Amino acid sequence: MHPDSNLEILMTRYQEGDFVAATVLVGRLSPQLHRFFVGQVVSRGDADDLLQETWLRIHKVRHTYRAGEPVLPWFYAIARHVRVDHYRRAGRTTAREQRLEEMPEVAAAMPGESGRTANLEELLAPLPESQREVIQMLKVAGMSLEEVARATSSSVGSVKQKAHRAYEKLRERMGGMELRKGSSGGPS
Amino acid sequence: MRDREIDEVLEKAAQPPHEVAPALLERVVGSIKSSMQPVRPLLPTWVLAGGLVLIGSAVALAGAARAGFYGIEKLSVLERAFIFPTLGILIWVAAAEFVSEMIPGSRRRMGPVALLTLGSLVLLGVFAVLFRAYPTDHFVSAGIKCLVTGVLHAIPVALLSWLLLRRGFAVNPVAAGLVGGTLAGLAGVTVLELHCANFQALHVLLWHTAVVPVSGVAGALVAWALRFWAGAGAHTSRPPNNP
Repeated sequence: MHPDSNLEILMTRYQEGDFVAATVLVGRLSPQLHRFFVGQVVSRGDADDLLQETWLRIHKVRHTYRAGEPVLPWFYAIARHVRVDHYRRAGRTTAREQRLEEMPEVAAAMPGESGRTANLEELLAPLPESQREVIQMLKVAGMSLEEVARATSSSVGSVKQKAHRAYEKLRERMGGMELRKGSSGGPS
Repeated sequence: MRDREIDEVLEKAAQPPHEVAPALLERVVGSIKSSMQPVRPLLPTWVLAGGLVLIGSAVALAGAARAGFYGIEKLSVLERAFIFPTLGILIWVAAAEFVSEMIPGSRRRMGPVALLTLGSLVLLGVFAVLFRAYPTDHFVSAGIKCLVTGVLHAIPVALLSWLLLRRGFAVNPVAAGLVGGTLAGLAGVTVLELHCANFQALHVLLWHTAVVPVSGVAGALVAWALRFWAGAGAHTSRPPNNP
């Protein structure tokens, strides 16, 4: 059985008023939604707030999910909306964009840089937000290109393009790190 | 570095489980528990889109009945056979896209701007092929009258469409406003084709077609303004942070 079909059944039961199904859904999906917010370079406290707000919104509009449709794009579309709404309301978008532009040199810790495996958030930090969210949905949530396109209200072609550009950037940075490691490891 | 190697790095980085504080999960569950009750899912897309097409057709027919069916009476059979099925198809496509905009995670066959552009270009193409009388009389005065008539009829279509889809949830209200406005504008053009007997090419090409972009942009602006005010209200009414 496809893992998502379980979620679809749980979602249908949630719509029918089954509190246990709702609790299981909250437990199953909260970590990846929380990670989605943390990955968008917000503080953990902000991510907590956004997660709570997302579930409230999900609860309010749960009737808009239709049985048989993929469930993850529905959840992520709402999570994206909450995130955008949060930044707009807080009026921090501009400041945040400036912070992001400054980030690549500071936050981009690559694997092996400090003798440990980089976490996903550090790896993806240098990417623009639109590319980062696509990689998160593909690699963390395990969504298909079609599902990511649904969640981001875009076309499959656009998702492919963003993923391709993200990989190009990651390749560039990882290649740079390997080169630096190679040159520093040589005889002095 | 190959894509597969990048995949491996990303997968390894994504492996460690991401923990969420149990207290937060309890808060989330607690917040939805009090209002846990069965909800009725939205109707299928084709039913809602069909409802929107009915609204558009009903308003167009009512508007033309009130103003007079002078246009359709003067149109040849060939012109009728081109114009009205084209409008019907465009209204159906716009209706389906509007429904998709109101349901999170729906498949989008076309972006809002692409829909507006396509709708306007198709109408321009059809009108350019069918109407070849290039002299113009009262170009601006007659044109503005038609534009206003079309947009005025688009308003009830937009309001009734919103009423039909009010249980939906637009994750991008501005995009939804643009699509809703485009749909309403197409219904406005239908009123003009039924009513207006001025077949001068430039009049039809410019003033009739303009109803679609004008309504679309107006829909987007209204949605933007509503979101802005709703956001401002939410911002000012937010409780202060805990000390």
